[in-house]
Amino acid sequence: MSTIDLSALTAREVRRGIASGDFSAREVAESAYARIEALDGEVHAFLQLTPELAFAAADRVDRARAAGEELPPLAGVPAGIKDNMNLIGTRTTCASRILGNYESVYDCTAVSRLLEAGALPIGKCNMDEFAFGSSTENSAYGPTRNPWDLERVPGGSSGGSAACVAAGMASISLGSDTGGSIRQPGALTGTVGLKPTYGRVSRYGVVAFGSSLDQIGPFGKTVDDVALALEAISGADVMDATSSVEPVDPYSEALGRGAQGLRVGIVSDMLAMEGCGEEIRRVVNSSAETFAALGAEVGEVELPSAQHGLAAYYIIGPAEASSNLARFDGIRYGRRVPDADDVLDLYMRSRAEGFGPETIRRIMLGTYALSAGYYDAYYGQAQKARTRIIQDFRAAFERFDVLLTPSTPEVAFRFGEKSDPYTMYLNDYYTIPVNLAGNCAVSVPSGLCTTAGMPMGLQIIGDYFAESTLLRAAAAFEEATHFEPVPPLVRALTGTEGGE
Amino acid sequence: MAITESDVRHVALLARLALTDEQVTTLTAELGAVLGHIDELQRLDLAGVEPTAHPLSMTDRTRPDVVVPGLSRELALLNAPDTDGTAFLIPAFAGAGEES
Amino acid sequence: MAKDRLAEVLERYEAVIGLEIHTEITATNTKMFCGCPVAFGGEPNTRVCPVCLGLPGALPVPNQAAIEWTVLAGLATDCDIALWSQFHRKQYFYPDMPKDYQISQYDLPFCSGGLLEVEVDGDGVAQRVDLGGGVAAVGPEAVADDGGYRTTIGITRIHLEEDTGKMVHVGGSEGRIAGATHSLVDFNRAGTPLMELVSEPDIRTPEEARRFAQKLRSIWLALGVSDCSMEEGSMRVDGNVSIRRRGESELGTKSEVKNMNSFKSLHDALAYEIVRQADLLDAGDRVVQETRHWDAGAKRTSALRSKEEAHDYRYFPEPDMVPFSFDPEWIDSLAERLPELPDARRARYMTELSLRKHDAGLLSADFAQACFFEEAVAIAGAARAKPVANWMLGDLAALLNAEGIELPESRVSPAMLAELVGLVEDGMISGKQAKEVFGDMAASGDAPGAIVEARGMRQVSDTEAIESVVRGVLEANPVEVASYRAGKTGLIGFFVGAVMREMRGQGNPKVINEVLTRMLSG
Repeated sequence: MSTIDLSALTAREVRRGIASGDFSAREVAESAYARIEALDGEVHAFLQLTPELAFAAADRVDRARAAGEELPPLAGVPAGIKDNMNLIGTRTTCASRILGNYESVYDCTAVSRLLEAGALPIGKCNMDEFAFGSSTENSAYGPTRNPWDLERVPGGSSGGSAACVAAGMASISLGSDTGGSIRQPGALTGTVGLKPTYGRVSRYGVVAFGSSLDQIGPFGKTVDDVALALEAISGADVMDATSSVEPVDPYSEALGRGAQGLRVGIVSDMLAMEGCGEEIRRVVNSSAETFAALGAEVGEVELPSAQHGLAAYYIIGPAEASSNLARFDGIRYGRRVPDADDVLDLYMRSRAEGFGPETIRRIMLGTYALSAGYYDAYYGQAQKARTRIIQDFRAAFERFDVLLTPSTPEVAFRFGEKSDPYTMYLNDYYTIPVNLAGNCAVSVPSGLCTTAGMPMGLQIIGDYFAESTLLRAAAAFEEATHFEPVPPLVRALTGTEGGE
Repeated sequence: MAITESDVRHVALLARLALTDEQVTTLTAELGAVLGHIDELQRLDLAGVEPTAHPLSMTDRTRPDVVVPGLSRELALLNAPDTDGTAFLIPAFAGAGEES
Repeated sequence: MAKDRLAEVLERYEAVIGLEIHTEITATNTKMFCGCPVAFGGEPNTRVCPVCLGLPGALPVPNQAAIEWTVLAGLATDCDIALWSQFHRKQYFYPDMPKDYQISQYDLPFCSGGLLEVEVDGDGVAQRVDLGGGVAAVGPEAVADDGGYRTTIGITRIHLEEDTGKMVHVGGSEGRIAGATHSLVDFNRAGTPLMELVSEPDIRTPEEARRFAQKLRSIWLALGVSDCSMEEGSMRVDGNVSIRRRGESELGTKSEVKNMNSFKSLHDALAYEIVRQADLLDAGDRVVQETRHWDAGAKRTSALRSKEEAHDYRYFPEPDMVPFSFDPEWIDSLAERLPELPDARRARYMTELSLRKHDAGLLSADFAQACFFEEAVAIAGAARAKPVANWMLGDLAALLNAEGIELPESRVSPAMLAELVGLVEDGMISGKQAKEVFGDMAASGDAPGAIVEARGMRQVSDTEAIESVVRGVLEANPVEVASYRAGKTGLIGFFVGAVMREMRGQGNPKVINEVLTRMLSG
């Protein structure tokens, strides 16, 4: 059995290799599981492996090729699925005890579309419980470790989805992003992570956190892979009343057109944030120079209301979450205490025992913010601040095609380092305003920091449904920086030097 | 608007969470700290600003009145903690509150 | 509770009543937010899907048809239709509510500011003691010529929401919560579109409340939006009641009354509640704001005990859906779809078909009855509308009542009734025979013409045939003929009876009378 090094191949190359007969989809799946066997004991990117589903999908691809059929765009591409997305034949636990045995009885639209495009569902990825967190430390089943440094977090909440791509266990993966849960772990693991425009991808089947903020998006090693995955999962869905009917562009075709003439704005006031690392700030400025060198018009822009994004988000997100998580009540599914006296007792203890501490914090915060007497002061005020943030972004996109910020104020931190909830929340300072406004944004690797040797990410923000422009800018930056990070763990395993 | 332990207990009942006394104490401090940071919103002058419930300006998304196959009862009850084979079984009712 | 007691209380206190009426939209094929079929009953949990079970990750998508029905309902009750509206989440935990929040509407309902004109006549008029027995007109009320009065009740709003599932409580008595050891939850009904209408507190008597609910039901039935079955729970009426001393303007503390499963229950429960509150106030006690449950068997309300905290529904805009921006032209196009409503229909029956107001009112209020009536009149001819109405409100109504069935379930069809009326009006059978034929056709479902043939009861109206019988009778009774001609015209009955006997009861009495009168005087 030949082992294919998925760290060395993009999703596009995997498909091409299968199409040209270099290897079979089954061999690709075997390679993914071999890598998982070798590394996931330490990394813990997956909560559940689904070889039956993956090999069945691989065999379909191989049969299609044998029959001479045209292969779909992600044929044979191994994919990790965040464990908050339903897929028949899997458990969907949201990394929570309350859903420990929950079996999906229907499919998430985005997952179905990914699989229809030929992807192989390798397994369900670890995450912060119900996507509450920025480190996967809030998983009820133990954290995921960063393949770049096992002592550090991979970010979150989609930490498992990021780590499995970084470690070559899958070529692409799906995560969900409510306040940065794709972009932040993307930045911390040296992967490309995209949050599409709100409404671009159906939310049907992804367990809701903040319904007006959530978007499913892809991780990949390259901007091109992310564009391919986005094409597969995007588009209107009759099952989601907030999915957009805006046409889906052939995103991957927009790449390679460089950055000539693009108007690129550095968000100067956000860059000046107190907690932002000096090197991270420097990298954003040098990224701007890279764009300028590529022929882009670079300027500065301010988003004065975005500094209030964190405060608004920690009202709106928990408020919606407190409502969305009410259904985990032990009546129809999920954990139920065995000895309840009555229904009220059943509710109170099943939920208190089933949810982890951060989930309880968010539910409490959100319930409080919506409760009588506080609605106007908290939720109402946050909604108005949200309006201001949207106005700031709209004004900025009058002048610029894309905006630049760091993806995170700092690189991956060590486990337990951020025990205070608010310190943890600050990690999403740059990503949160984008969810509030609904724009699209991508985190692209921008280099390794000199002190810790950990990846840094550049956040590029695009206008509504301007994913083509966003990804074109990201691809131009990626090409110009020639940075293709492979974690030391993987290099040690494959004996390659990675990258070029 | 400092949050008190009594507030926390009230909110916990609204949210149907049986908290221990220790949790109440911890959460009062933690939520107080988070609300302290969030307090900046109170100081913003946002009079006359329209609230945003949804980031996009879409309206009128509905579906046609057409029957779509649902779940078999077997699948509907698949994850149920307790059933009688046809319906979800729950314990006696005292104190679940009255509604509908 | 004696009727007099209510009358006595209403002398001193004025009742202030507002109704909340939930109506399931049964006209749609599917539920409010998913593609599961809308139906009543069935095996538990067989009309469910991820959406109406509230499974993790499932999303609601609103049913266009349910929204249109609600707008139509608003147009039919003179509501303003909102150009900007949206759904909100109403949050509370309950086992029959899959998501533990109900998708409902809050400050932006589809319809608001409507009104309904209610007429009260008969015994119920007396409850309005302030109208002075129907003489003085107060406020918007106008006294009608039949001693009744009209009053206009405001409609605060009509909004759209989703119904809950159903619970069966096991182990206690009569399926009640009290004493039950466990409960079974069925989500077939969960997600059925539900319109909630809230009236202004403009209602002053239990009778007005009943008339309001009946009128609303007749409108909903005319629209076809719901089957409005109070028994099956597709129409549910709750009432808010408070009382205040006559002449006072400040509102009293209200109680909310639930579980009124019929119009009679609605009337009796409100009457009970008014007297109960008056007794409290008379004794120097206070009325407590609470929800009370009507027990139709015991004829009393009792407080629902709950150890839950006061409700805090934490309404917020439903983020899984976007707002609605209705185009005025679209609303106009819906208005064109409005069918004839009961008031207009009654007026038409009175002017075009010359029905009495009472009969016209009865026939037009019940949509199924009105349809039956119009179909029968279409066959029988407008000139025969009155006898059709008489049959429907007389023998047919009595029959349905005796058999405990609804009009559509009866064997009698509009065509059959029209035929029967035709046979009588054309003098083919007598009125007495018609009653026999009616009974026969209601039992067998056979056409009246066939029954008349089979039973050989075709009435003889042929003048020549009758003349020959009359001639024989006159010849056989010369003494009586002489007496009649001498002035004892009362003997006409004797001759009619004799002719009828000769004709075995099949002679047309009208023709017999004519012929006898003519031949006796000749």
